[in-house]
Amino acid sequence: MSVVLGISALYHDAAAALVVGGEIVAAIQEERLSRIKNDSSLPFRAAKACLLRGGLCAQDIDRVVYYENPYAKLERVLLSLMRSFPKTWRQFPRALASQLGAKLWVIDQLAEGLGVERERVEFVSHHESHAASAFLCSPFEEAAILVVDAVGEAASTSIYSGKGTSITGRQSVDYPHSLGLFYAALTAFLGFRVNEGEYKVMGLAAYGAPCYRVEFEKLLRVSHDGSYTLDLSYFAHHIGVDNGFSRKLESLLGPRRPGHRPWDLTSDGDQHYANVAATLQLVTEEAMLALARKAQTLVGSANLCLAGGVALNCVANARVLAETKFERVFVQPAAGDAGGALGAALLGATSLGEGRAKPLATAALGIDLDLERAFQIATEMGFSVRRVDSPAEAATEKLIAKRILGVASGPSEWGPRALGQRSILALPQERDVRERINRVIKKRELFRPFAPAVVAERASEFFVGVDPDMSPFMTSVCAVRDEHAASLQAVTHVDKSARVQSVTRHGAPLLHAITCGVAQYNGMPIVLNTSLNGPGEPIAASATDVLSFFARHPIDALLIGDLMIERGS
Amino acid sequence: MPFFTPLITLLNPLVWRRGRAAQKFSAFALAERASMVDMQEAARLTPSAERAALYLRHAADESRHEKLFLARSAEIREELGKAPLVPSAADTEGLFAALGEEFFLAFVHLGEAVALEQFRLYIEYFEAKGQDRNRALLAGICSDETRHESYTFTLLANLCGSEAAAKKAVSRARRWRAWRAWRRIGLKLSGGLHGILMLALYILCAPLALLIRFVAPAKGGWRQLK
Repeated sequence: MSVVLGISALYHDAAAALVVGGEIVAAIQEERLSRIKNDSSLPFRAAKACLLRGGLCAQDIDRVVYYENPYAKLERVLLSLMRSFPKTWRQFPRALASQLGAKLWVIDQLAEGLGVERERVEFVSHHESHAASAFLCSPFEEAAILVVDAVGEAASTSIYSGKGTSITGRQSVDYPHSLGLFYAALTAFLGFRVNEGEYKVMGLAAYGAPCYRVEFEKLLRVSHDGSYTLDLSYFAHHIGVDNGFSRKLESLLGPRRPGHRPWDLTSDGDQHYANVAATLQLVTEEAMLALARKAQTLVGSANLCLAGGVALNCVANARVLAETKFERVFVQPAAGDAGGALGAALLGATSLGEGRAKPLATAALGIDLDLERAFQIATEMGFSVRRVDSPAEAATEKLIAKRILGVASGPSEWGPRALGQRSILALPQERDVRERINRVIKKRELFRPFAPAVVAERASEFFVGVDPDMSPFMTSVCAVRDEHAASLQAVTHVDKSARVQSVTRHGAPLLHAITCGVAQYNGMPIVLNTSLNGPGEPIAASATDVLSFFARHPIDALLIGDLMIERGS
Repeated sequence: MPFFTPLITLLNPLVWRRGRAAQKFSAFALAERASMVDMQEAARLTPSAERAALYLRHAADESRHEKLFLARSAEIREELGKAPLVPSAADTEGLFAALGEEFFLAFVHLGEAVALEQFRLYIEYFEAKGQDRNRALLAGICSDETRHESYTFTLLANLCGSEAAAKKAVSRARRWRAWRAWRRIGLKLSGGLHGILMLALYILCAPLALLIRFVAPAKGGWRQLK
């Protein structure tokens, strides 16, 4: 039985994943342990935590697989810098320091840091890792695989075909043309942080009208064969400017939005930026549709696996399912760079002769809770702590009393979404609940929607088009049924859509029981579910992190396992 | 610290001049965030639940300080008609895991003592200059820092077995802190030198760049994967 550790690191969102005997045992992002959002450093903490979950040590590892080819990456970086000579003069020293100082030696650093022989550490390509991360744990025996992100070694978009345990590369679009970097540049233009603000753009888009189609046609051209090209004169990622866009873009769309200014969507100024976001979202969706159709033509499968950062665009994912010939679409919860660790591990396992992993049914692959320690620390901190016989009932009671409840149950989630293992829950009926969570705890822009978690068996009573492959991981959106829109105000976006999580007993047992409990009270098996973190923080993972969150943020109560914790008198 | 006291006093007008003060508060906020992350890690790793609780309280204080410093920084920037500074990622070093609990505590205790001394000098300066908001902010935070300085030493003495041993650990931390500062300066210097050398290399690459443009231009459209 082989033991394979997959690693992604050094760009953003480092992670480790452990596959034993072909099955996924653990997958953890480094940020959840280092407590630094999107931590890109080599994920030694996460690797150790994965091994701990598997009851293994470094000596047991048969293979460590890094998610990217560092030599091909260096080649692409050098070529790109030389192509844009002399505009890249600032970027050249920085890029070389980063590539030659650390990234080129990553295989040796991993061997040394993990304490395994150098011969046991290998690498696979970036997009192959992404493709494997989606396909090898999908419910499909065969599928087309579409990877869309910022950039790997050379490719920014690739199409693969997957069958059994084999993944075959078909075609790619190469850097500097990149749908991910196109979205990132416009995210920066709208005043958000790249790699963090893309979700905000998606939320903002619903408040605008896509009235800049003509302008956007100058930026991104989608060809009849599904490929696309960027007019690079509007962008700056290839010459290394941090925000990714040039002055020409500001001549086209007006000045960038200052990031600090509070949003006021009733003002003309901010409505203009909402319109830019709406056009960006629409153009991206259309490009994704063209790419998906190309993948369908090329591979001829009825199934599609999506991966890469752009696959976290759940609005686009919903359209791909609805408007292409694909009958089923699967997106693994950590579709971004972190997911590369899982793909690398799965590829390593299949190369050692293991079969396919079981289809991913839960994202609870992370750090487990030490309840005894949580009890001791919470008591020492002066909180009121009591053990409850039925955590679900105790949680339901709090929610019914209109309390905002933090919940930590079982292993932490894999990927950027809180799926009931580390969540803040509330009743979704009242808009003021949403505003309280936004203003006091999350401090997010008021236009950002919260997500509903609904018992899978009854999801279609309240929402239209709940997809059983994507909705358990919140990687798609669907429409709220008209008759329920008013009663689900706190989780319904302005365009009457919702990023639904359909909750199964197996995927998130506590959340399932809580939503069922809430249904007994008000007939609706739905709760508002948002991640257990404050602004700029990674989602809480360990019991101490959860308690730390409780100490720093004004939620009403906290449930850790069977411990109901409240503030002392 | 007494060695640096005259220097800080001398530099105060420069450090707290109108255009700089916001940056200084923003830098304090970043340091508080880094400290919060370190304290959270300590809470996770210490074998004692009692100490973990203390570290979490400490982390909560640092988080509050960070928010206060950021708010003040933004306020000053607003007065100047400028956008607030965007804080960068916290620069943490995983000190607890790297140094062990005793050394970590000595290091935190020392950091708190140095910060306290520094803040007191700033408070004196703000008092003299009539900058009440800045003075009140630092005075409020100083009361927390005093508590942090005190409890970390108590814990350290308990862990080391005596106050004398704790003082030795603090001296060792002081030497390590100086060594770390020296290494950071070295890193900055070598970074600068590397930049100059790479720029020279870049200029030498000009013919290669021309060649690459003709031989390997960037292409759009689909490429067949091997």
